[in-house]
Amino acid sequence: MDELEQLYQTTYTAVVRFLYRKVWDAERAEDLAQEVFVRALAHRPEKPRAWVFAVAANLARDEARAAMRRKRHLTLLKGDPVAQPTMEPAADTLVEHDERVASVQEALTTLTPRDREILLLWDAGLSYPEIAAQTGLALGAVGTTLARARRRLVEAHDRQHASKASHAAHS
Amino acid sequence: MTGSTHPKRAMRHIPEEELHAYLDQGLSRSQCVEIESHLAACPSCQAARDAIAALRDRTTALLAKLAPPRGFPPAFESLRRRAAVQATARRRRIQIAAWAASVVVAVGLGWMANHLLTTQASPPRDLAGRTVARPPITAQAIPAAVVPSIKSSPPKSSPVVRRVSRGHATPTASDSDVKLTPVVAPPSLQLSSSVDAPHPEMELNGMWRTMSWDGAQAEAGDKLPHIDGLPVVRVQLQLLPTDQGKQPLMVVAQQLSSGEVIRTIEGPTNDVSHLLAQRTVSDQDPTSTRIDSNRVTGGPDRTMAMQRGDRMLVITGALPSDSLLAMIRRLNAEMRSK
Repeated sequence: MDELEQLYQTTYTAVVRFLYRKVWDAERAEDLAQEVFVRALAHRPEKPRAWVFAVAANLARDEARAAMRRKRHLTLLKGDPVAQPTMEPAADTLVEHDERVASVQEALTTLTPRDREILLLWDAGLSYPEIAAQTGLALGAVGTTLARARRRLVEAHDRQHASKASHAAHS
Repeated sequence: MTGSTHPKRAMRHIPEEELHAYLDQGLSRSQCVEIESHLAACPSCQAARDAIAALRDRTTALLAKLAPPRGFPPAFESLRRRAAVQATARRRRIQIAAWAASVVVAVGLGWMANHLLTTQASPPRDLAGRTVARPPITAQAIPAAVVPSIKSSPPKSSPVVRRVSRGHATPTASDSDVKLTPVVAPPSLQLSSSVDAPHPEMELNGMWRTMSWDGAQAEAGDKLPHIDGLPVVRVQLQLLPTDQGKQPLMVVAQQLSSGEVIRTIEGPTNDVSHLLAQRTVSDQDPTSTRIDSNRVTGGPDRTMAMQRGDRMLVITGALPSDSLLAMIRRLNAEMRSK
């Protein structure tokens, strides 16, 4: 079994998950993940694991831009004012498996793009040096960013819970 | 980072981000040892570490909810096949580009070689007196069966280079100010009313637009290559997507009173040579392509090409080469005067 195949067996699910948290479409995430590995087979990168996530991030970014163009186009067709481009999924595109999932998703969208990216890369299993190399962040700043991202994610999530609880209590 | 001396280390608590990095195994071994020795003696940092460990676990648990429904990864072999298909397509694109470039180079070398040959040529012949130069208009309506279609075939070689070596046997230009390349077309380069099935690798052919004479004239104006006085059978313009704003490759088919169809082609040099090469399959019988000035009709098509700046003018038809030569020289003079 060659190195890439081994990486595929161990990382495919993590790549799909990483992509899913960016495009919020399970099928699309799988398509993109497969495209990533097809490209890896063609390029045979030196550091395949970091490379795979870097390409996945690029594909997801392209995807988000394309989605934004489509959305803007539709908005223009409707004659509405043009929405500001944003990487966050629109509220109506959030796939709600259940309410708790949606609240995590919303909490994640409150992070800055950089904090979110680093948190997702960490969760996908990348090491500090790999995260630093991919994002251009100094190695020493990875811990700082992760500390902030984790704190903010949990805080945003708890805030939502609290407000929902108070809403439920009022009604 | 923690201090190097013991008293200092005991006083300074470990910063939050360092505890994150420590728990994430993002620190060097020596940094870990330092932190662990501080933690052993500092209850406050121990509490901070536990809180951060809890936060870390909480984040992981929250993110775990954002997992897509678990699908089955396709077999790695299927991805390998996809990669192989894409690589083949990429290689083919590169090969085609390299081939096109080699044709351009070969044509260029051909011009140079031929120019050298023509300047040392035997006494010039009188070529202008041929009968086909301005025949009367005879065909008002040309039956559809006569309309030629271009036989296309995938590029196999660069035939231009081969033909240049036969330049000795061909009539040469009488005046050295005109650069001429007599090009003998192999038998496969024939006008045909049959329609070939589209070849899967026709992408370099671009798209052809068949136009009426008036329409083409309106679009290309005086630049439309043609022999005055001959009925036009067909006008085709090649639309090359990358050549916006550039005068396209034009092919004008005209019929002689004898029924033969000749075609004048004008366009960017590499596009024209490309077209000629595509229509050439192989030289099956070298003797049959030798120029025989006594044959007036029938037989293989011959091609005369003339470089005009970065463009090329070509006449092709089943005519004696000196007739073609006379025609192309006249055509060149006419087009230059416009």
